[in-house]
Amino acid sequence: MGDITHRLRGGLIPLAAVIGVLAVLPIAGAPRSWLLYLLLFFIYLSMANMWNLLCGYSGLISLCQPAFIGLAGYTLVIGTWWGLPIHLGMIIGAIVAAAFALLISIPVFRLRGIYFAIGTLVVPEALKYAFLIWRPVGGTIHGGGAGYVLKGAAGFSTAEVYWLALGIALASAFCMRVILRSKLGLGLASIRDNDRTAASSGINVFKLKLYSFVIGAFVTGIAGTIFYIYQQYIEPTSAFSVRWTMILILATVIGGMSTEGGPVFGAVIVVFLHFLLARYAGINLIIQGTLLIIMMLLVPEGIMGFIRKTRPYRSLLELATSR
Amino acid sequence: MVPEVLAGLSDPIIMGILLGGLYILIALGLSLVFGVMRLINVAHGDLVILGTYFAFFGMTGEILGHRLTIFGIDPILSLVIGIPLLFAIGFAIQKFLMSRAVQISMEAPLIIAFGISLIIQNICQRLWTPYSRGLTTSYALKSFSVGVFHIPLVYLLDFICALIVMVILREFLRRTYLGKAINAASQDRRAAQLMGINTDRVYAFAFAIAMATAAIAGVFLGLTFPFTPTSGVSFLIIAFGVIIIGGLGSVLGTFLGGLILGLAQTLGGHVLNELGLPGAATGQYLFLYVMVLVVLGVRPQGIFGR
Repeated sequence: MGDITHRLRGGLIPLAAVIGVLAVLPIAGAPRSWLLYLLLFFIYLSMANMWNLLCGYSGLISLCQPAFIGLAGYTLVIGTWWGLPIHLGMIIGAIVAAAFALLISIPVFRLRGIYFAIGTLVVPEALKYAFLIWRPVGGTIHGGGAGYVLKGAAGFSTAEVYWLALGIALASAFCMRVILRSKLGLGLASIRDNDRTAASSGINVFKLKLYSFVIGAFVTGIAGTIFYIYQQYIEPTSAFSVRWTMILILATVIGGMSTEGGPVFGAVIVVFLHFLLARYAGINLIIQGTLLIIMMLLVPEGIMGFIRKTRPYRSLLELATSR
Repeated sequence: MVPEVLAGLSDPIIMGILLGGLYILIALGLSLVFGVMRLINVAHGDLVILGTYFAFFGMTGEILGHRLTIFGIDPILSLVIGIPLLFAIGFAIQKFLMSRAVQISMEAPLIIAFGISLIIQNICQRLWTPYSRGLTTSYALKSFSVGVFHIPLVYLLDFICALIVMVILREFLRRTYLGKAINAASQDRRAAQLMGINTDRVYAFAFAIAMATAAIAGVFLGLTFPFTPTSGVSFLIIAFGVIIIGGLGSVLGTFLGGLILGLAQTLGGHVLNELGLPGAATGQYLFLYVMVLVVLGVRPQGIFGR
């Protein structure tokens, strides 16, 4: 453990300064629109971090993240209809998402690689239809299930939601750090590179993949609930939408998959695009799709990977290591 | 009592089998691309829907909110242009994008196909609005009765067309030079290259042929169901279910996979209707997806997979 804490310490002071500035922004009277951009950035960042953990470090191309977001969101929102406090709802929502991850791991973990990807793609779609029919509380609106409004959200100010989002973003980044520098991360990396060799070296492949899948679901779930506290409304088609998956892939791929800093860059760009393209709402998917293809073909290693390859970074690295 | 129940079941059963034909038709292209190039084309559903919209354009002449009155081509007839169009798109996708993507990494083709899917969805939405549409031809709602069975004409057309396309595809892969080359390249790429086969070209043709079947599937889909620009994902999942249930690479498997999913959907809808539950129309899709997940859980290699 002491080993881990030692390796965690690098570059802590500038990081602490940035976090400090981000934390006091709402009190310092930053414009509300800034807070909303950053809020979205934090939520996307934590989800992208988890997707990076799954795809970049564990070799699980999971396309069922919307299932966790939607389930956690629904648990939170429906919980408030039953009088559950919002903070408790967040935790329970994440637990439901994690439990669901455990449940669907039974069928989907029998699949590998690309099969796993498509197998997981079925899950949010099935849930979407389930929630379109099923209406747990409240009267039936025409045609069965429909949207719900988050009750009791009036007590939440933008600043509070902002801090929650900042918290989960930091927690997800910290979680990544700890995982990658622990035995779990090492095991995951070896599974990603060659799962047969890993298994023959005494690594319990199934268990490790399951750990990262459930951790990913839990954190994604919390981030999802925070998003729905901000949006205050949930309905099946957008909650279980492929758009979520797209955002996560976009953020991770643009930033650089399998790099810790990747999702940070990626999420910045996704949020930036989100607001930049709001004016061109009609064609923003065309732009995002094209960007995804171009990035994948030209710079498959992403921004972070690209920076690593450039000369200034290497000479900096040499300077840092020559001591 | 028993015959009464059976009489109630006869319609969903025959509908399920015929509907299975449509699902087979959609799955054929996905299965071909997977079998030859080992890549899952996540944009397949959207390319099918693009074919549907093309037929819709040919029939109504509607584009960008305008209505060009010179049109009025029958959807099935519009395939004369629709098939070559999607053939060309497929050829270009493989030649310019996928052939490079496979060299980058395992997930690169998947992510690029995802990008293509988004672009097509957005294009359809721009050109033909996000509203639900249908190919409402004069024969779309016709039906006839054979004994106890009550059969909608379009469903029968789906099934017949699926059989025809399946047989043509099979014979093509077995008898023509290009078909044999595709087979060879899918079995062992390097060996095929050494035998003088231009595998890049063969792959491009395989993708293009898959897209030609997608064009046909698109038209029949539009005749059978209403569609929106985002319907592609649902049909991709159904098509994937068909090939995964049947077991990859097995023609008989694909056929039975289609029938199983078709039956799961219509019988599921029937049960929901009988129980008087709300939302039978959406509920039947839920049955279908749960069926896919259950089969994956029990037999990941498919019922007929090796």
